[in-house]
Amino acid sequence: MSQSLDDPQKPSAQTANMNSVVPYKVDRFTRLVTLSPIFLLILLLLPVLGGLISVLLPAFGWIPAIEKTTFGLQGFEALWQTPGLTQMIALSVATGLISTLLAFVSTLMILAAFFNSVWLTRIERLLSPILVIPHAAAAIAIGFLIAPSGMIARLLSPWLSGWELAPQGIFPHDPYGISIILGLVLKELPFLLLISLGALAQPELGKKLRLNYKVALNLGYYPITAFFKAVFPVLYPLLRLPLLAVLAYASASVEMPLILGPNTPPTLAVTIMQWFSDVNLNLRIKASAGAILQLLLTGSLIALWLGAEKIIKILSSHSLINGKRHYIDGIWQKSTIALTVLMIGFIALALIGLVIWSVAGYWRFPAVLPEQLVLMHFQSAFTQMSTPLFHTVTIGITSTAFAIILTLLCLESEQLSNKSISSFTSLIIYLPLLVPSIAFLFGLVWLQQLFNNQAAFLNVTFTHLLFVLPYVFLSLASSYRHLDARFANVAASLGATPIKVFLQVKLPQLLTPILIAIALGLAISFGQYLPTLLAGGGRIATITTEAVTLANGASRRTSAVYAIIQMILPLFGFVLAWLLPKYFFRSGAR
Amino acid sequence: MHVTNSLLALIRLKKLNQYSRYVSYNMALGICIGISSSSASTITVPDDNSQLPWQQLKNSAQNQDVYFHTWGGDPQINAYIQWVADEVEDKYNINLVHVKLSDTSEAVSRVLAEKSANNDKQGNVDLIWINGANFATMSENSLLLKDWAMNLPNFALTDPNNNPSVTLDFGVPTDGMEAPWGQASLTFYYDSLAIDKPPATLAELTSWTQKNPGRFSYPKPPDFLGMSFLKYALVMLHEQKDAQTGTNISAALNQPVSETNRDLVLNPLWDLLDKWHPSLWRNGQQFPQSGAQMRRLVDDTELSLAFTFSGPEVPAAVQRYDLPTSIRSYAMSDGSLSNTHFVAIPYNASHPEAAQLVANFLLSPEAQARKQDPSVWGDKTVLVPTTLSIEQQALFKTTKPHPSALAFDAIKRTVSEPHPSWVDAIIQGWQTRYGVSK
Repeated sequence: MSQSLDDPQKPSAQTANMNSVVPYKVDRFTRLVTLSPIFLLILLLLPVLGGLISVLLPAFGWIPAIEKTTFGLQGFEALWQTPGLTQMIALSVATGLISTLLAFVSTLMILAAFFNSVWLTRIERLLSPILVIPHAAAAIAIGFLIAPSGMIARLLSPWLSGWELAPQGIFPHDPYGISIILGLVLKELPFLLLISLGALAQPELGKKLRLNYKVALNLGYYPITAFFKAVFPVLYPLLRLPLLAVLAYASASVEMPLILGPNTPPTLAVTIMQWFSDVNLNLRIKASAGAILQLLLTGSLIALWLGAEKIIKILSSHSLINGKRHYIDGIWQKSTIALTVLMIGFIALALIGLVIWSVAGYWRFPAVLPEQLVLMHFQSAFTQMSTPLFHTVTIGITSTAFAIILTLLCLESEQLSNKSISSFTSLIIYLPLLVPSIAFLFGLVWLQQLFNNQAAFLNVTFTHLLFVLPYVFLSLASSYRHLDARFANVAASLGATPIKVFLQVKLPQLLTPILIAIALGLAISFGQYLPTLLAGGGRIATITTEAVTLANGASRRTSAVYAIIQMILPLFGFVLAWLLPKYFFRSGAR
Repeated sequence: MHVTNSLLALIRLKKLNQYSRYVSYNMALGICIGISSSSASTITVPDDNSQLPWQQLKNSAQNQDVYFHTWGGDPQINAYIQWVADEVEDKYNINLVHVKLSDTSEAVSRVLAEKSANNDKQGNVDLIWINGANFATMSENSLLLKDWAMNLPNFALTDPNNNPSVTLDFGVPTDGMEAPWGQASLTFYYDSLAIDKPPATLAELTSWTQKNPGRFSYPKPPDFLGMSFLKYALVMLHEQKDAQTGTNISAALNQPVSETNRDLVLNPLWDLLDKWHPSLWRNGQQFPQSGAQMRRLVDDTELSLAFTFSGPEVPAAVQRYDLPTSIRSYAMSDGSLSNTHFVAIPYNASHPEAAQLVANFLLSPEAQARKQDPSVWGDKTVLVPTTLSIEQQALFKTTKPHPSALAFDAIKRTVSEPHPSWVDAIIQGWQTRYGVSK
């Protein structure tokens, strides 16, 4: 994740392999390796583009199944006439843009306030569990907290508020989308923080930035100002693509607005999903037109972001070199600390609430604790959980394994051919994260129906792969490119074949990054909602689809249980990724 | 292999129709045998006659998978379906896979997607829990397997000749495309710590909400339960009006919507809602997404009064801690909207034989009695007691009722569903008027 694609430093393949030009013998392995980037391209491009085309046709009125075979604009006309379309668009745009901006600004503030401090890694460690929590589970936990009968209101009632019944409130489901923004910010902030720390962890770049920072401090710049003037301009290009992915996701996501958002009207993406699954089949045309609109909307947001970036660059170029040493740094420092504490407290309270609900007996408002604690909800969930759990795990393992192998081959091809994959390929790797999934998934499902409709499991696994692959690639790329080439060179000059070098020299050195990439891939796969629902046609139930179905359902307690399982699964992967190398290296050292 | 199987089954089904009289005679006989031998066997057709079409179907259905698509938001119903899965596994070696939907329409659109991809034989959906508008849509688009339900041996136990509720779905003839599964009446429940005496008519309900703003709401249309509530209100409004003015607008509700009477019938409803919404939960700017969410809001004490189409789910929720012990159920004294829900088989189901076998099991006294047990699901049976043996009737006896349960004789008067075309008219009108909060 940490390696940027238009990294200005590009310490990657070129520098690392400067002296590694060893002519290799062409065999089956090297042929496979050199073909793998092309395979990667096809694998990512075809489904996304195919899916987009397959949603474009119905958008212009072409659905043979319901005897609609004339092209026309009726879908778009129906779309314009939808009551509340402006509100839906406004809600999607506002929640997407504001949440991304807030998450980005908070990330920067935390980085600036704690740069070069031990607290930075501590905060990251505190927030990183959020990273692996699927969006649905996070939304459920936040909903528990901010509801009129939620934890905050209970703590204040009735001694302070006088409420004997839950008060009239607006959260969650508030018409302004504040709940959605809150959910998205809390979920995306740890991701952006991790990306930034990953970039700072790159040896050369990190050293340079820390040096810049130190020089700035020595020149009398206050810490926060020093960060923004000496570190941020170099760091930002590394954050650009992840930021755009966050923006694209936030503007078109379904889980958060479904669980936390209003329904009169909901966001555009949620509306489109409802149209697609409506009994009135003629709505398909309008839904497809809506998907195109969503695509344009997300595209414009990305363009807007890039434009704003240029303008800010021009406007701030003067202040970067004006020599001013501080801008009310003390206040910023204090407010960042307050904000961080508030945020961590909020998350902690949400998680505590989640755990209590999962074992709660009767728990009438305004009691702070339930009347009794019971394990019944876990027991009844476990009796029904075996199949979803099995699906979740097998799909996760299959798609992650495939993603890891393909990624390793592609990265190996970089080293064989001695040049980085093209920037075009790098962009394509991000494609499934930049194109709103609601726009291409319906088309993709239609295509999958045409080819092999019985293999629901395969279809889901393949669709998960589209989302797992980018993360696995981005997570592994940096470590792979920074491998010390001398080991491989020595092995090669001793006569080892490329495959032997790959398997016996390179991979063992990469054990930790590979395990982390596996854990990340599994976490991404575990959390997929829309791809699982659509590609599986509802036949493949996973913990996440169950959790979302139950989230708006009757039982707080059951949805808490599912949300907890949703969190534990990926956490399990990360704990293993953390423990295994310790075990291996300890036994190896003996 | 699957293809030939299902084709054979279709041919068999056609033959079956011709024999239907013979079959029902046999079934009647079978029931008599069932009574005298008092066996708990659910399929009462004698097993030795392997020439019977049903027996052939039963043989070919063995070892098949059945993908049963239902709304999956209620853990209690899900647990019951899990029990059904275990039973059909034991009895017929059928692997029943429960596909939980957040909305039944998802399965409808899936079947459509398959039709559009020319997948006419290997559909993903084998059995679907359905009624009302979803059924009307599927049947209009020829998405359902026809003429099978009346041939289920256990269908006779519903006394179809004297019981139109099992062959009419919201007034639309089912034509053997779906088998009845359960019956539902609109039941209200309230928090007795927040309300002393709950409102018992529509008029009392509106004045109660004015006095207790924010404590009542209904699920947002097109949600099934929300629509049912609006239909209840519509029927009641016109009954009152007709009684006052001597007109007969109520009759129009049993006919399809026409351009001429749409506004005449619906305007009184909009007038009521215009006045009512500001005193609802969140000032009528936001609505619960489903009946399940509404129930959760009662547990949260945000709402003090709510309703359900499945009365027994209320005590069951109390037993599972999902509602407080202070909850009490009751029926409106001016009438309770009632309907039947069904299971249907899509035209392209991969395993139609096994699906029929499951549908037949769902209709068995054993399965129906378990379903009616308030601690299991509490959904009212579609079987008619007079068709059952003493032993079978005994299965339905319940123990002491739960304090939160609806009293045995609470429903004084049932009101039938308006014609399904009114559903669309209400949804559209509602969406334009209230779908976007101001």
